[in-house]
Amino acid sequence: MRTILEISDLSHSYDDEIFTITDFSFSLKDGEISSIIGSSGIGKTTLLRIIAGLEEPSEGEVRINEKLVSSKNFILPPENRNLGLVVEDRALFPHLSVKKNVMFGINNIEDRESLAREYLELFKVLDLEEKFPHEISAGQQQRVAFARALITNPDILLLDEPFAALDKKLKRELHVETKKIFKEKGLSVILVTHDEEEAEYFSDRIIEFQENKIIVR
Amino acid sequence: MQFFKILTIWHVLPILILLLFFSPILIILFSLFRDYSENWEHIYNYVLTDYIVNSLILVSGVSFLVIIIGSVTAWIVTNYHFIGRRFFEWGLILPLAIPPYILAYTFTGLFDSYGTLNEIVGSIFNLQKSESFFPNIRNIYGAILVFSFTLYPYVYLICRTAFLNQSRSMFEVGRTLGLSQKLIFLKLALPIVRPALIAGTMIVAMETLSDFGAVDHFAVSTFTTGIFRTWYGMYDLTTAMQLASVLLIFVTFCLVIERTSRRNASFSTISSNFKPMPIKKLSSQQSFLCFLICFIPIFIGFVLPILEILNWSLRFNSGFFEKHFFRISFNTISLSVFSAILCTFIAMLINFSIRYQNSSIVKVTNPFLNIGYAVPGLILAVGIVQLFVFLDNNILNSFEGYFLTGSIFGLIFAYIIRSYALANSTYEAGYQKISQTVDDTARILKSKGLNLLYRVHFPLLKTSFFTSILLVTSEVVKELPATLILRPFNFETLAVSTYIYASEERMIEAAAPATAIILIGLIPIFFLTKMIRASRLEDKK
Repeated sequence: MRTILEISDLSHSYDDEIFTITDFSFSLKDGEISSIIGSSGIGKTTLLRIIAGLEEPSEGEVRINEKLVSSKNFILPPENRNLGLVVEDRALFPHLSVKKNVMFGINNIEDRESLAREYLELFKVLDLEEKFPHEISAGQQQRVAFARALITNPDILLLDEPFAALDKKLKRELHVETKKIFKEKGLSVILVTHDEEEAEYFSDRIIEFQENKIIVR
Repeated sequence: MQFFKILTIWHVLPILILLLFFSPILIILFSLFRDYSENWEHIYNYVLTDYIVNSLILVSGVSFLVIIIGSVTAWIVTNYHFIGRRFFEWGLILPLAIPPYILAYTFTGLFDSYGTLNEIVGSIFNLQKSESFFPNIRNIYGAILVFSFTLYPYVYLICRTAFLNQSRSMFEVGRTLGLSQKLIFLKLALPIVRPALIAGTMIVAMETLSDFGAVDHFAVSTFTTGIFRTWYGMYDLTTAMQLASVLLIFVTFCLVIERTSRRNASFSTISSNFKPMPIKKLSSQQSFLCFLICFIPIFIGFVLPILEILNWSLRFNSGFFEKHFFRISFNTISLSVFSAILCTFIAMLINFSIRYQNSSIVKVTNPFLNIGYAVPGLILAVGIVQLFVFLDNNILNSFEGYFLTGSIFGLIFAYIIRSYALANSTYEAGYQKISQTVDDTARILKSKGLNLLYRVHFPLLKTSFFTSILLVTSEVVKELPATLILRPFNFETLAVSTYIYASEERMIEAAAPATAIILIGLIPIFFLTKMIRASRLEDKK
């Protein structure tokens, strides 16, 4: 399997003094699901943001599909990386309907509406297409967020605690459904979570961020 | 890093606007290094001391009164149950709708020897027609009263917020240490809100120093009347600019104190173990006293001028709404709405740049862009005239005559600089409500630059957009000194018209434009009222 993401000797600090990530190297294979776990404030989300191009690394390099996207002197903007992102607070656009949220990232596709419906159906929210985010439940919002991220056919899907705000039953339900979809579509996924059980369920590989070391399992 | 190496339009735009905003101010300051004329020597030897002393007396007197009125009323409405408390909470800001110059005009209409109140009191006590019951109001003490009763709401608003944020436990400890209610106010509450109090007072001081209409009406010699006289009486723009520079130094001093105090005001804000102050019930006598204390400022600063303007309106024989009134209303509304839309767009683009680029260069520019609110309109006007004359003579000289000088552009430019802080504050508040993850997700979904602004931020910030337009419009409508100087020939606005009528002592004819200004001035009060109602924790429950 080819490598889709390559991180080498990555370090990051906010003030050039305290490093949240030090000399981190990692690679993600095409179709692989990896989880990053660790306590709060240890740098998990920062790593995800660096991969997304939303944060600049202090040292090291990030390559996607063998192309350099981040280094100390170069940054490819997030919009040019072909990634998907789902975050804990869903970040749905409150002024757009469910369908328009899902269509947001596919401007240049001819039949946007039917593609959006296809993805809404995949995530079982087709009946909500005309509703607005505030009119649907947290679980439904998260399904819409997944549909919006996947419809662009991203090279890597980045998930930042996407299930954290959901109750246990709903979480379990979404775990099963989303993992099935990820595997069917052969998606490369990086999941940031503090829930070890969730990481075990989803991942082919777990990277654990600890105070002074990083353990790959 | 590449973020900082590549300058995009979102980096350049704020810097360009900053340069544009600062150019008239810099022109004024550079005048200090030009030759000083005989007029300057005359001013320096004979009247500059008067300007300085009068300005200092004015600022000290107004500051003293607004501190007392603003802090005492804020303390009362925050801590006590009394008749009309809920009304006074927002009613105390009503005088903000009345510009000081309109209060000054109505005061002379009320208290002069042939004034309405004087006639009423005279008929009650059988006084001679020429006898005056009230002391002469057309002096510096009258001006102090006018500024105090129109500007105290700045101190009231800032103190009320600070008092609301004070914790109950701290005062309970004070009581157990033997402090009475009065001593708690003097020894605990006031010292804790001191930075907020200073910040509010400095805003009042800057407004007082900037005013032209009221001091001109009361014939008090201050910097603004001096600048106006030097320019229009002596036709000496350079000396007017040099005088303006001295005023600018005074204002900068106030601004520095205000900014420093705002930073220090954080120690009076809510902590994690915050318990709101309980509202105490009062006896009927105490309740009536509190009612009186809160009613008097509203009566003097809002009710009295409204009654006098109504009186003028009723005596206006030729019809309240006539052709001239509609023409100047149209001039004012179209000019202020256009300026407000432009100002709002600029604030939107700058705030978007800050959010989108997250670059330190861009972030640094915004606080400086806000400084326009502190620069007196008269100074801005003088600087803009000089800038436009320079541009017309050196860059736009292919046009016949003057293209910019004496045109409507000068007015719009001055209004935008003066009102930018208002527009910016509504956008800052709006952006605080949009999670950063919305931007991150939109960028991952390939939305960037103007596309992100148009598809995501603009729809989410519609409320900020319209609030900003309303607030700036009402601010621009009241603006007098800059309008007076920069308006094209024969172009009148409501403020200019009120000023012209009042300066010719045709008070009755000033009623229509004055009423219109007050009505438009009530717009921001409406928004502030909504904020005040939402701010009390007790009301939310």
